[in-house]
Amino acid sequence: MFLNPYYLQIGSFIAINALLGLGVYVTLSTGQLSLGSAGFMGIGAYTSAILTARYNYSIPVGVVFGALAAALSGVLIAIPSLRLRGVYLAIVTLGFGEILRVAFIRLENLTGGAIGFPGIPKLGGTILERLKASSAGARIFSSMNGNALESLLVFAILLCITLMSAAFFALQANSRVGRAFSSIEMDETAAESMGINVYYYKVLSFTQGAFVSGLAGALYGHVASYVSPADFTYHRAVEILVYAILGGAGQVMGPLVGASILTTLPEVLRFMSGYRHVLYGAIIVLSMIYRPQGLIDSETSDWLRKVFRRKRFIDGGVK
Amino acid sequence: MEVDLNVNTGVYFKAYRFGALLPVLIILFILSASCSNPKAPSGGPAGGQSAGGSQSAADRQPAADRQSAGGPLTVKVGIIAALSGPAASYGISINNGFKLAAEEINFGADVKLTVLVEDSAGSQEQALSAVKKLINSDSVSALLGPTLSTEMRVVGPEANSNGVPILATSNTAEGITGIGKYVLRDSMPETIAIPAAIGQAVKRYGIKSVAILYGDDDVFTKSGFDTMKRTAESTGLKITDVEKFQKGQADYNAQLTKIKSTNPDCVLCSALYNEGAVIIGQARKMGLTVPFIGGNGFNSPRVVEIAGGAANGLIVATPWFPLRQDRKVKDFITNYEKRFGQKPDQFSAQAYDGMYMLAEAIKKAGSADRDKIRDSLAGIKNFDGVLGTFSFDENRDVSMAPYVLIVENGQFRLFQ
Repeated sequence: MFLNPYYLQIGSFIAINALLGLGVYVTLSTGQLSLGSAGFMGIGAYTSAILTARYNYSIPVGVVFGALAAALSGVLIAIPSLRLRGVYLAIVTLGFGEILRVAFIRLENLTGGAIGFPGIPKLGGTILERLKASSAGARIFSSMNGNALESLLVFAILLCITLMSAAFFALQANSRVGRAFSSIEMDETAAESMGINVYYYKVLSFTQGAFVSGLAGALYGHVASYVSPADFTYHRAVEILVYAILGGAGQVMGPLVGASILTTLPEVLRFMSGYRHVLYGAIIVLSMIYRPQGLIDSETSDWLRKVFRRKRFIDGGVK
Repeated sequence: MEVDLNVNTGVYFKAYRFGALLPVLIILFILSASCSNPKAPSGGPAGGQSAGGSQSAADRQPAADRQSAGGPLTVKVGIIAALSGPAASYGISINNGFKLAAEEINFGADVKLTVLVEDSAGSQEQALSAVKKLINSDSVSALLGPTLSTEMRVVGPEANSNGVPILATSNTAEGITGIGKYVLRDSMPETIAIPAAIGQAVKRYGIKSVAILYGDDDVFTKSGFDTMKRTAESTGLKITDVEKFQKGQADYNAQLTKIKSTNPDCVLCSALYNEGAVIIGQARKMGLTVPFIGGNGFNSPRVVEIAGGAANGLIVATPWFPLRQDRKVKDFITNYEKRFGQKPDQFSAQAYDGMYMLAEAIKKAGSADRDKIRDSLAGIKNFDGVLGTFSFDENRDVSMAPYVLIVENGQFRLFQ
């Protein structure tokens, strides 16, 4: 049952959306509200698509360069707009996202314009081919079902990347950088008077957010094998923001939980056909009323940690 | 460090814990509800789960439930349609066309179609999940849809690599059947419709120069423009002006004034029906009275409804002509109106014929085998449906002559 490509596909989208949510989380951890994630996602997706489909670079190269291109544009947008806070920054990043979307439409020779960019190499397909090309791989995999295996591989890769990014941010949160981030979030002036380079850390967190969004976008392109400017509108940016906020933007776990729930819901609600988006919206409204801080806040994550720690202690004791 | 929690706040923690649990409980409840498949005979949670689990074994050829002595062949058919979201108005008429055809086919005794409909909400992500569900969890023998060409770009390669035949009934963009040999379509691409309309107009009106107006941020209008430009160039027409507009624009006077000043014999306009109706209305108001040739987006009775008399002189080419003197067409329109309370449009007609063609292919194949169905579907020639006489060409694409229509006195008439 777990090899069903349908479930693996949902898992893959959860991983990608969780990455996008992490991008919002890290930018928000210095108190910066960015709505540019859809634009950064687009930069990552198009860069990787162009490198792999037009210039025949391998997918990992394309994905890395896609994420780097997004990070670079993140630096460029962060430097001039750092004076802005809260809603004002949100509006600037929203405008930036729109500029990018129109650029994707206008740069027709590069992106294919409004028609989109078809035929992006599939993540699973190329790996599978390479595995089959090796003699040992051929022996093992010839008996297995190609499509299920491909979906499984894609899911495993995406899950690894997402978990690694989440682990990185979790470690960073307790590091010197993370503490600087949260002090900036609480009070910028106080942080500055404590000797924290506010400018540097704000650019850093914004760039990290852009990098992760670009990474997710590049991976999305290689999963869907087609991207168009319509995929990177502000609707997408808001969707990504909801992943982080509903899950709880203060914790690394938050975007992961939020993305998992919001990506699974439309699929789980398929049996309701016509009404599923109504219930989807209702669940968001309800959880925002009863859990404005998100499903996972510092108390729940502490509680979870305590539960797991106690369990480990008991296990140790039994031995 | 965080271990020594304050004892006094314990009560609050409990409250928070339950607060976190509540949404989780809601979701769990929904999950369990969805597992009990309403189509499964046993409604209980245990029965539902086992049904969901056993169906999902990977890569099996769909089972043909041929009842012992010559009973009808039962075949599972999956539909992907945009039933919600911005493309829902198209998706719903398409799905109605499918529904009506499937009901009529199942009324007969030859084949029984089990139709499974999945909503894609017009998004590529959901369309991809839907196609994986239909192929892997439901093991369908063939697919119909999806609604949008952008969705097909994602769904098509997936169906093709799984070897499931997929018949598009509403994708008009170029290169759809180029995705692979399991991808077919019965919806007329712009590359047939637009040249036919332009050719007819050139023949009748002796047009020598054209101006083009199009929306450059939409897949349909942009690909329509590409075809218009290519056709105008290859027929040797002089392009006096090319103007763009954006989605949601309400005032087209700037573009139209410029077009009027170049004095073309005709305006080629690639727009969706709601924009198109406004454009033609504003054009007539400022005295631009030359004929308009529209793409597929213009081909809707709604254009005439919105623009009124201004729509006179609009020329479109379409595979669907509701006033055609044919018993099949009349029956289809009456039955559709009776069933759904509205008139069928081009998309419901294409969907209706698509379902009938698939049923015929299944009948000919005599089994639920995906490859056999694909082969007999691709081999369909001179199929007599509500659209007219239909054949697939060697690229599994549409091979039929469109009807060129012109609006006269607020009605679409044949333009000959």
